[in-house]
Amino acid sequence: MSNREDILNRIRIILSRADLPFPPVDAPPLDLDTRMTVTTATGEPRALAARFGAELAKLAGDYEILDSAVEARLALINRLTDWAAEEEAARRGPKLETGQERTVLSWHPDELPVTGLAETLADLGWKLVAPGDLRTPESRDAVRFIRFGLTGVEAAFASTGSLLLLSGAGRSRAASLLPFRHVALIPFSRLYPTMEAWLAERRERGELVDHLRGRAAWNMITGPSKSADIEMNLTLGVHGPKYLHAILFDDIH
Amino acid sequence: MRATIDLHLPYATRVEQALANRHLKTALERATGRMDGQRVTAMAAVDGERLRDQTQQMKEYALRQWPELLEQLESNLTANGAHVHWAKEAGEVNRTLIQIARKANVQKVVKVKSMVSEEAHLNDALAQAGISVVETDLGEFIIQLAGEPPSHIIAPVIHRRVEDIAEIFQQELDMPPTLDPQVICGVARTHLRREFLGADMGISGCNFAIAETGTIGIVTNEGNGRMSSTLPRVYVVVMGIEKIVPTVEDAFLQYQALCRSATGQQCSVYLSLTSGPRQPGDADGPDEFHVILLDNGRVDMLAKGYGEALCCIRCGACLNVCPVYREIGGHAYGSTYSGPIGAVISGLLHTDVTDVDALPYASTLCCACRDACPVQIDLPRLLLDLRHDIVAEGETSRWERMGMQSFAQIMHNPTLYESGGKMAGLGSNLLAWFGGGSVKRLPGAFAGWTDSRNFPPFAKQSFRSLWRERTKRRKSISGDALA
Repeated sequence: MSNREDILNRIRIILSRADLPFPPVDAPPLDLDTRMTVTTATGEPRALAARFGAELAKLAGDYEILDSAVEARLALINRLTDWAAEEEAARRGPKLETGQERTVLSWHPDELPVTGLAETLADLGWKLVAPGDLRTPESRDAVRFIRFGLTGVEAAFASTGSLLLLSGAGRSRAASLLPFRHVALIPFSRLYPTMEAWLAERRERGELVDHLRGRAAWNMITGPSKSADIEMNLTLGVHGPKYLHAILFDDIH
Repeated sequence: MRATIDLHLPYATRVEQALANRHLKTALERATGRMDGQRVTAMAAVDGERLRDQTQQMKEYALRQWPELLEQLESNLTANGAHVHWAKEAGEVNRTLIQIARKANVQKVVKVKSMVSEEAHLNDALAQAGISVVETDLGEFIIQLAGEPPSHIIAPVIHRRVEDIAEIFQQELDMPPTLDPQVICGVARTHLRREFLGADMGISGCNFAIAETGTIGIVTNEGNGRMSSTLPRVYVVVMGIEKIVPTVEDAFLQYQALCRSATGQQCSVYLSLTSGPRQPGDADGPDEFHVILLDNGRVDMLAKGYGEALCCIRCGACLNVCPVYREIGGHAYGSTYSGPIGAVISGLLHTDVTDVDALPYASTLCCACRDACPVQIDLPRLLLDLRHDIVAEGETSRWERMGMQSFAQIMHNPTLYESGGKMAGLGSNLLAWFGGGSVKRLPGAFAGWTDSRNFPPFAKQSFRSLWRERTKRRKSISGDALA
C-alpha cells in the first residue's frame, strides 16, 4: 500500500470510530451567511481611499489621493524624481555606475491602469523595463540594481491597506519584490472596503475558484517589508521594498 | 558563540541552563510581553471572540472532512501542474527532497522558516547530500550562522541580544562593528539577495493549503517567502497534513486569526498564494512546483484522542502567555515545538526529544494558553490527559508510584489520614523550629521541594481537631441552654 492510501485509509478508519473524542461528528462548515467579515470599512470610493491611506500610513507606507489618471501620471514622475534625489543625497562614497539608475522595473505598460507612462517617463530620461522572462542569470543581472518598481493592482482593500497582485503575462512578480522602492497605482474602481467584499463579489460571480487556479500566484502586500527579529526592533526593507507608495486616483467620475 | 545549546541534555539540565541565563529572562519578558500585548489589542479591535469561534469551527470541520479534503487538494494541485508527494515519516521528506534536488540538478537551496522542516532535520539531511541550504528569514539566518536551533515558533532568535547578533555578523559576514538593527538588517539583505538570485530551489512550509483550489499559502513579513517561491526554478512546499482548509474564504479567515494572534497585525506584510508552477507568459516563478504532505504522527495524534491539537495554526500565542515558557524559553523544551502546544505535541509526533515525558509537566495549568489560542484548543486538558497517559503507562519513577499509592491508602482511611497529619504536623513544626520559622530542608525524597524554596510548616492544630472542638463547644452551650 502506498503512503497515500495508508494515510487516507487510516484517517477514515479513525474518523469512523464512535468513541473518537475529536473532531465532533456533526462539525458544520462555515457558510456564506454566517461567515464574519473581520474588518470593516464603509463609504464612497474617496472615503475608502482615505481609509486605505490611513491604514497604509500606520505601517510606514505612504500614499496620495488624486482626481484623475493624468494627475496620477504626474504624481508618479514626481515620486520617482524625489526618490532618486533622496538616494543621491543619502549616497556615501563614489557613485556606482550600474546603468540602471534611472530605470523602473515595471509591469508591462498595457497592464498598468495609467496610459502613456513609458513615453512620459522616457521624455524625462527614465526607462521603464518590463522583462518578459526573468529566469536566466543574464536577465536578472539586467534588473539587479534597479531601485524602483511599478505595478498596478488586481484589487486593494481599504480596511487593511492591502494590495492584491496576481501573476500573469506582463505582470512580473519581481516588480513589486526586487526593487528597494515600490509604487502601486490604484484606480478607485479596484478599491474594495475589505478583502471579504472582494472575495464575495468573485464568489457570487462564480469565478473565485477559477480566478485562483488560473494564476500561478497571488500576492497580497500590506506595507513595506519588515522584521522585528532583532530584539523586537522594527527594521524595514529586509528582503522586499523598504518604501511602498500608493497612488490612488479617481477613474470612476 | 557557536553550538552552545544542546537539546539532548536532560530536561532538568536544560531548564537549569535557561534559568541561569540572565539575558534570556530579560529577552523573554520583553518579547513575549510585547507580542501578547499586541495580540490582545488586535483581537479587541475586532470581534475577536467571534473570529476565534469561527476559526475553530472551520478547523473542526476540516478535520472531520480530512481525507476528502486531502484528496481534493491533491487532485487540484496536480491539475494545476504541481507534483504531490506523501510522506509517512519525517525521514521520507528528506529522501524525497534529495531526489527532487538531484533530478533537477540543484546545488543551492534557499529556505523559508518552516517548523515541519525542523521536525525532519531537513538542513542536516540536505547538507549531508552535498546540497547547500541557506535560511532566509532574518531570525533563522542569524541562528543558522550561530549554529543554534530556533527558540520560538515565530520569533526564532528571541533568545539573542543585539550585541550577540552583531558579533555573529562581524565574525561570519565581516560586518563593521555596529549595534544598529537597521544596518544589521541591510547587511543581511545584501548577503541574502545574492543567495536568492543564485538559488536553484526554494523550500518553505505552509500556513494553509486550500483544498478547493489546490493552493498553498505562506505568511511572511520580510518577503523571503515571496523570494523563495518566485526566483528559484524549483519550489518545494513541505506541509503537515493538518494544514488543510476547505475554501478560499476559510483561508482568509484563518490568515487574519493567525496575524492577529501571532504579532498583533491586521495582515502580515506578505501573503503568498501559490497554485502551480509558472504559467506560459509569466516572466518569473518556478518551473517546477512540488508539495510534500507529511504525516509523522499526526494521524496517530487523532487516533489517541489528541486530534484537537491538530487545529493549531502555529501562531505562538500560547507561548507568549505561558508563565513556564516565559521563564525557561524554547530551548529548554528540547523540541522543535515549545510552549504549551509543544508540551502537547512533542511526544505525539514521531520526533526524538530527550525526556519528552517531562514536557506535559512544564505547565502551571493556569489556562492562559487556552484563553489566548485563536482556535481555542483546550491545552490544559490535553496536558492533563498526557499526564494521565504517562501514569497509566507506568512511565513514572518507582518512588513516585509508591508515594502516590501510599497517599491513596491514607486518603481512603480516616484514621490513617488523621495520624499521618499529626505526624507531618509534628515533624514539620519541629524542623521549622530549627529553621527559624520555616522548613529549609526536608529529608529524603522530599528534599526536591526545599532545593528551591522553603516548606511552610503544617498548622499546629488540624482542621478536624478544630471542628471537633467547635462541635463539642456548641453541644455544651446548647446543653446548658436546655438545662
